[in-house]
Amino acid sequence: MKRSTLIGTVMMLSLGLLANQALAEQVHSLRGDNPLDAQSKEPKSMKWQDDRDPISRDYVQQPPLTPHKTKGYKINKNFNKCLTCHSWANYKEAGATKISQTHFSDRENNVLANIAPRRYFCDQCHVPQVNAPPLVENTFNPLQTIKRH
Amino acid sequence: MSVYKKTKDTLQVVWTFLKKPTAKYSLGTLLVVGFISGIIFWGGFNTAMEMTNTQEFCISCHEMRVNVYEEYKDSIHYTNRTGVRATCPDCHVPKEWAYKVVRKIKATNELFHKVLGTIDTPEKFEKKRLKMARSVWKEMKATDSRECRNCHDYESMDYTEQGRRSMQQHSKGLDEGKTCIDCHKGIAHSLPAMYEVDPSAAVNTK
Amino acid sequence: MKLSRRDFIKTNAIAATAAAAGITIPGINTAMAKANNKIRWDKAACRFCGTGCSVLVGTKDGRVVATQGDPESPVNRGLNCIKGYFLSKIMYGKDRLTKPLLRMTNGKYDKNGEFTEVSWDQAFDIMADKFKTALKNKGPTSVGMFGSGQWTIWEGYAASKLLKAGFRSNNLDPNARHCMASAVGAFMRGFGSDEPMGCYDDLEHADAFVLWGANMAEMHPILWSRLTDTRLTKEGSEVHVLSTFKNRCFDLSDNSMVFTPQTDLAIANYIAHYIIETKSYNKKFIADNVNFNKTPTDIGYGLRPEHPLEKKKTGKGGKLSKISFEEYKKSVAKYDLEYTSKLSGVPEEKLLKLAKVYADPKKKVTSFWTMGFNQHTRGVWVNGLVYNIHLLMGKISEPGNSPFSLTGQPSACGTAREVGTFAHRLPADLVVKKKAHRDFSEKVWKLPEGTIPPKPGYHAVLQNRMLKDGKLNAYWVMCNNNVQAAPNFNEETYPGYRNPENFIVVSDPYPTVTAIAADLILPAAMWVEKEGGYGNAERRTQFWRQQVKAPGEAKSDLWQLVEFSKRFKVEEVWPADLIAKKPEVKGKTLYEILFKNGQVNKYPKQKITDSAGNQYSNDEMDDFGFYIQKGLFEEYRIFGTKGPKIGHDLGDYDTYHKLRGLRWPVVNGKETLWRYREGYDPFVKKGEGVKFYGKKDGKANIIFAPFEPAPEMPDKEYDLWLSTGRVLEHWHSGSMTRRVPELYKAFPDAVLFIHPNDARKRGLRRGMTAKVTSRRGDILLRVETRGRNRPPEGLIFVPWFDAGRLINKLTLDATDPLSKETDYKKCAVKVEKV
Repeated sequence: MKRSTLIGTVMMLSLGLLANQALAEQVHSLRGDNPLDAQSKEPKSMKWQDDRDPISRDYVQQPPLTPHKTKGYKINKNFNKCLTCHSWANYKEAGATKISQTHFSDRENNVLANIAPRRYFCDQCHVPQVNAPPLVENTFNPLQTIKRH
Repeated sequence: MSVYKKTKDTLQVVWTFLKKPTAKYSLGTLLVVGFISGIIFWGGFNTAMEMTNTQEFCISCHEMRVNVYEEYKDSIHYTNRTGVRATCPDCHVPKEWAYKVVRKIKATNELFHKVLGTIDTPEKFEKKRLKMARSVWKEMKATDSRECRNCHDYESMDYTEQGRRSMQQHSKGLDEGKTCIDCHKGIAHSLPAMYEVDPSAAVNTK
Repeated sequence: MKLSRRDFIKTNAIAATAAAAGITIPGINTAMAKANNKIRWDKAACRFCGTGCSVLVGTKDGRVVATQGDPESPVNRGLNCIKGYFLSKIMYGKDRLTKPLLRMTNGKYDKNGEFTEVSWDQAFDIMADKFKTALKNKGPTSVGMFGSGQWTIWEGYAASKLLKAGFRSNNLDPNARHCMASAVGAFMRGFGSDEPMGCYDDLEHADAFVLWGANMAEMHPILWSRLTDTRLTKEGSEVHVLSTFKNRCFDLSDNSMVFTPQTDLAIANYIAHYIIETKSYNKKFIADNVNFNKTPTDIGYGLRPEHPLEKKKTGKGGKLSKISFEEYKKSVAKYDLEYTSKLSGVPEEKLLKLAKVYADPKKKVTSFWTMGFNQHTRGVWVNGLVYNIHLLMGKISEPGNSPFSLTGQPSACGTAREVGTFAHRLPADLVVKKKAHRDFSEKVWKLPEGTIPPKPGYHAVLQNRMLKDGKLNAYWVMCNNNVQAAPNFNEETYPGYRNPENFIVVSDPYPTVTAIAADLILPAAMWVEKEGGYGNAERRTQFWRQQVKAPGEAKSDLWQLVEFSKRFKVEEVWPADLIAKKPEVKGKTLYEILFKNGQVNKYPKQKITDSAGNQYSNDEMDDFGFYIQKGLFEEYRIFGTKGPKIGHDLGDYDTYHKLRGLRWPVVNGKETLWRYREGYDPFVKKGEGVKFYGKKDGKANIIFAPFEPAPEMPDKEYDLWLSTGRVLEHWHSGSMTRRVPELYKAFPDAVLFIHPNDARKRGLRRGMTAKVTSRRGDILLRVETRGRNRPPEGLIFVPWFDAGRLINKLTLDATDPLSKETDYKKCAVKVEKV
């Protein structure tokens, strides 16, 4: 066998191997490259995003994300911490986004004086975010009319 | 309880001594003894007062331990990034002696209610919560949040280190002459039912 | 080849962007812009939990561009939870599977090879070969399937036909085994008919709510919002919450009870005792409608038979024996206030307060429970103990008085339970064990007598054991992520998947840990990429149309099941004597026998349009040449309308496409809100009042069952209870929700919820990394002492959505011996600093 052929074959083989590996790498679960039967990786430390401008929405009907930390905020029968800034009585003073008008009607579409009790637990829909890249990229395309340019 | 007992025993000894007739002793002796016992009494009084000025003393009553103490343990004043901790007396007892004594005298009312069992169940505590909270808020407002300011002061704040909202609110608060408690209610303990205080921040229930 | 998936996504994205970008090109005429601006809105059932909210799906240019709560839906009236609001993104994770992937080395299947793209033909070739080999060598019990409560109704139905009739194997079980089997067991024992008697309207009618191991605030947020509405607006209404740790429900609670795990058995019996002791029970209701029974005790824990605990047991099974009221009274007498309070750790006054609510004839009480009761080694018992309370008081089957078993999955009711994709069931509450039921099923399916085997197949946990033991060899996992869910990963789950004797196929839209553990991965279409139907916890059946195309070569589970059936000639799967009973099947494929049977293929291809005239595709209809979903559903409907068990009637196919679902039984187009009561239920005749017609004598069963301890309790070394569960932001194993960036960032990784004192004792502080170890495995977690869940000292809670830290490496494969459902809420662990 000629030397050049040998080199060629080796190169071909290693290319093949590389291709194989690349292919194998494509199929990862959310564990990444950590095998199923291996110990879990040390959990990453992630911090909640601190105060920032409202986070833009990807579609009109999407509930706005919470652009600040909510640690220690309580919502219970007695009191709703969110409303101390976001209620219509308080939002101006607090410089906060006011509660959407959609939140003032009950199941029967009666318009109420204050936030609808069925919407009382804000955190069922509005959540703060940690500072981290997405775990997996998402290819959802917001409409151009909504997307921030 | 042991703190009580200790305080009680100390006072008992002093009292017995004071009840004794004086004729036996010379003026000099009396003066010297008076002077020394003055120091002891003074020191003892202060020591006793300081004994009541610890978190351990506060939570020796179950009313405090199972309610407000548990809530406080959830708050930033209990654990935080740098590990600085403000305990019960740091916020609820004045540092200056005269104010402190006044506060301690007021506290006898609390002892009275302890005996009565006014808030000895979580349910009873909850019923009185608004009243109690209001009295604390009133006092803090009256003193311009004096105890807060032992640590926090507008003067010592670096606004660039603050978040967007806090920076805004603090500069505004400063301009308007607001005091800490005006905004920072319920930062260490659960808030009472707030329908009366801020009807927009709760849904009225019976 | 390796780039094709990425290429596909790229072209797709470019196409969509270009189409959308058209609007912004200056100078374009306005009419065109207007048309381009239009989003097509259509209804669909939410993909996630058993609440069954309806959503509106907005599509444009073949892509979902928005979702919102459906204002017309009686379930959610325009609301969604955070997951529901982000449904629009679940199909667009960048790593969607678009081609079959087979483990290969040098172009050939190899169990230890690397995943390599293959065509559907190649995939089905190897798969059919493996199934045929197993059938030939070891018979029908060597093939099996693990299905789903997230399958559409017709997918479950097609799977049931393929497995139970086609392959003649009852080794078909759904992941609903992990979540609802105990509920089913208790319904059948108590009432002879599965699923709740009440409906969600109870949420507005009740005066008091009792949560028994259901964290509704996070797991059924929309039902919680309805409950909150009632609590905050109805004078005198109250909420009682029982749990083994504090959770978000406690924020609305009027009576919060944290109890020691397993003692719910005692608490329920105490309430019955209180009702009897105070003579509060409804004498007339009991005399007319109730039988008293007891169940065998000390029945073991569903572990492998050689386990010491199984050898020790003295009782077996669930055969009821009748007892008198007096005997029942005596049985519960032991559970007095003092004993129960001591055992459960719940203060006496709280237990008393709870008992009084049930015993007050004027208070309408609705009890809710989910996994706290169902994932319980005495799950059937404890479900039944709450029915006992409601039956003693007659607080059942009427508005507001409702023992309500909530469902975990979107179609655990509609598919897994109603279609009967369990190892022992057939559609509409029929069971394989009963000859009459098999006969009826074979008649409907036009099959020879004796096609369906009478012996129940392997249930979920047993399937994994049989895989490990090499008795189950060709195995298809569809629409679930069982390697992340099934208990005892290290000892009982993973070994079976990697057993060289076995061939494992996994169908999924995403590369889940289960897919990674398989030998062949089939790319699946999901949610609105296919026409579908789900049935929720209040017996509501809801349909949706296909809104968009699946990416690449991804195909729906229905297509996969039916297409695969074409690969089998009946002679390859049925014995000659069975074929001889019906000679006309000779030479036919399973496809022809099961699906081209004159019923399923009865409805020709048609245009799918909505009332506004919008047109929709139906890929399966195009592929098979007939309206297969409709055909399957209409055939399936015969079980409810003509089957041996009354009260299971469903409406016709087209109706469901027109409205926001109907609650069965549906008779003359009318739904049923409360079952078993005159005036509400068409099967209860005038003058009968209440009739539990699922039982022959029309009476429900009160069944006494005692407190018995959990199989594995904290001891000196493993000194903490471990409870597992979900969080609001993630659905189940997170394979969809963790691919939505907003949901991922709201709750990125699983954490260790632990009491601060327990943490401190181990030198741990909030945010540190801890190692959690059970006798079966260990994982690393970040410590959370101040989160939304507050365990008491002695218990920890860990969510299971995080593939990165598989909590099922720790869980114990102990099940309720009656329901075969795993107890994911109790085992013993230790926590250490790393």
